[in-house]
Amino acid sequence: MKKVVSSSAKGLSTTRRQVLTLGAATLAMPFVTRAWAADPVNVGVILPLSGANAQFGVNSRNGIELVAEQINARGGIKSLGGAPINLVVADSTSTPTTAATVGQRLITQNSVVAILGAYASSLSLALSEVTERREIPLMTMSFSDQITGRGFKNVFQIIAKASVIGAAQFDGTAAIAKGAGQKLERIAIMYEDTAYGVSQAKGVREAATKAGTQIVMDEAYPLGITDVTPLINKLRNANAQAVFPMSYLNDGLQIIRSMRQQKISLPIIGGAGGYVIPDFRKALGEYAENVLSIAPGNYDLAPKLTEDFRKKYGYFMVHEALEHAVCLDVLAQALEVAKAREPAAVRKALSETEFKGGWCDAMPGGVVKFDQTGLNTHAVPMMVQWHGDNLATVWPDNLAKSKAVWTAT
Amino acid sequence: MAFVQAVLDGLMIGGVYAAISIGLTLVFGVMGIVNFAQAEFLMLGMFIAYFVWAYLGLDPLIGSIVAFVIIFALGIVIQRTLIQRVMRAPAVAQIFLTVGLLIVIENLALLAFGSSFRSVSTSYQTSSLRLGPLFIGVPYLAAFCMAVLSGFALWLFMDKSWYGQAMRATAQNPLAARLMGINVERMQQLAFGLGVGLTAFGGAIILPYFTVNPTVAEQFVILMFTAVVLGGLGNIAGAVVGGLTVGIIQSVSALVFPIQLQNFVLFLAFIGVLALRPHGLIGASR
Repeated sequence: MKKVVSSSAKGLSTTRRQVLTLGAATLAMPFVTRAWAADPVNVGVILPLSGANAQFGVNSRNGIELVAEQINARGGIKSLGGAPINLVVADSTSTPTTAATVGQRLITQNSVVAILGAYASSLSLALSEVTERREIPLMTMSFSDQITGRGFKNVFQIIAKASVIGAAQFDGTAAIAKGAGQKLERIAIMYEDTAYGVSQAKGVREAATKAGTQIVMDEAYPLGITDVTPLINKLRNANAQAVFPMSYLNDGLQIIRSMRQQKISLPIIGGAGGYVIPDFRKALGEYAENVLSIAPGNYDLAPKLTEDFRKKYGYFMVHEALEHAVCLDVLAQALEVAKAREPAAVRKALSETEFKGGWCDAMPGGVVKFDQTGLNTHAVPMMVQWHGDNLATVWPDNLAKSKAVWTAT
Repeated sequence: MAFVQAVLDGLMIGGVYAAISIGLTLVFGVMGIVNFAQAEFLMLGMFIAYFVWAYLGLDPLIGSIVAFVIIFALGIVIQRTLIQRVMRAPAVAQIFLTVGLLIVIENLALLAFGSSFRSVSTSYQTSSLRLGPLFIGVPYLAAFCMAVLSGFALWLFMDKSWYGQAMRATAQNPLAARLMGINVERMQQLAFGLGVGLTAFGGAIILPYFTVNPTVAEQFVILMFTAVVLGGLGNIAGAVVGGLTVGIIQSVSALVFPIQLQNFVLFLAFIGVLALRPHGLIGASR
């Protein structure tokens, strides 16, 4: 490097060979500079950045990028000589097969130490088939029961399982109704027929049956439904006390608008997804007020950490951004423990260490520890409710920041 | 009564399906080209109506006219610069061009608008009309009325105006039309512009109850093609019948089967119709 520069500076009569060497040196420059510091650690990020789930993918990416910047600003991974985190972001679209294909590509071409993603359960399931085969740790905040239910060794799920979240969606609602002096006797369930909707609906159904509550409507509908009117017609005739819709944003908005058109004013208890993002409030305005939802995490549990996100991106730290942030922080902590960048060593550190501090503070209990199936045993779901522009945690009592409002009469 | 309600709901959404499908069938009828990118113009129409609402404060139902005008002009440009070149090329080249157009438009929209869902809020969005035990959501009714209006305007144009007659002549026999002094290329430009413009219009009128994002076309493209083929490819009245049939089947099937199966029932009916009437419900053999 140095030699080339000095020789060309010495004589202005540059030969063709010198020009070529100089050119080659310039091309090689990025690689040379990289060798001065520790090589960056490549972390794969696979998210739906286009298609039906794009918005959630973008939110998730924002959370991950925030944490990567924080880690690199602190001096990278210290046990690896200050290696910075280098995110390799790829678009899974909203199609499972694509998620698997890009996963394969990141593993073979970018030699990633681990992969974060892919938001939607159906995408993560497809992706996990690849990461399991190639023995690359996959850190996810998808929560279909199948993710940790297949005996996979390389999958780590930061939040509770869908059936647990579904059960909490019912139990939390029953508790809030009870607090207002009402007993839940008849409920309606509607869900999109994806891995997420199906397994979470199962949780609601089982908890309701256990509590002796009658399910007067139990309806799946296709993802990308163009007209929800038939669904709302059924709801109107079902005589339910409360409705539990499990959907992403577009169908969620359609469901609530159609309910309002037909003057159905039942309490709505959403299943996370589209019910807990700022766009929900923006699109529905006052009709969002007091809509309840289950959530695997919420920004008001760690206002200090999540405020950075609001400052950087201009909206509150939605749960998928928060949980992906925790995923990357836990991975960074695991890299510190592993003192190596081999996926196998990272996997070992992930499964043996109890993670504390940093973004773990945003999780209930402030601790992350994975069991043999890869499930974070400390994760508990919570109920949130729209109060103005804010999403407030209202249940369970030990996490609640505000008092729940029960709108049924 | 539940049945009447279901038929009514199906009619409302079917009217919209018809409006967006007419454009597809018009392009095929006059030009003999299957435009796979057609649904992307629906997305563009929705975005135009959204921006007209967001920045000028105009209702999407008014924005739909703006969407029609802009996309009509864009359609003529696309026809002159791209489609015209493959008019005499093999069908494969035509398919590649329109599929390529689909990918380009969708990704340009992703670049320009980002991937987030956008939705308008209007005063009538959550109101409904009540006729005894029957409910009709006002945004659905408004979209239906606009669809009927556009269909009627198109019929007037095709049936009464010289341009409409010339366009139909071009569809029937381009050579004979040319001999009669009709500028066939001009007619094809007009047909393509009208076709994509109408689909954009159809997208704009559903904005009061639907959200828009750059990949929204995926949700409609299959339904559009089903409606068009069901009624008879290239036949405008066929697209109307096809659109209404698709809407009603989707809605009524929910009375008997789980809603999850609404498209399953739709395609069973679709296969049945094609088996019995290969040219569609009212399509004559071409």
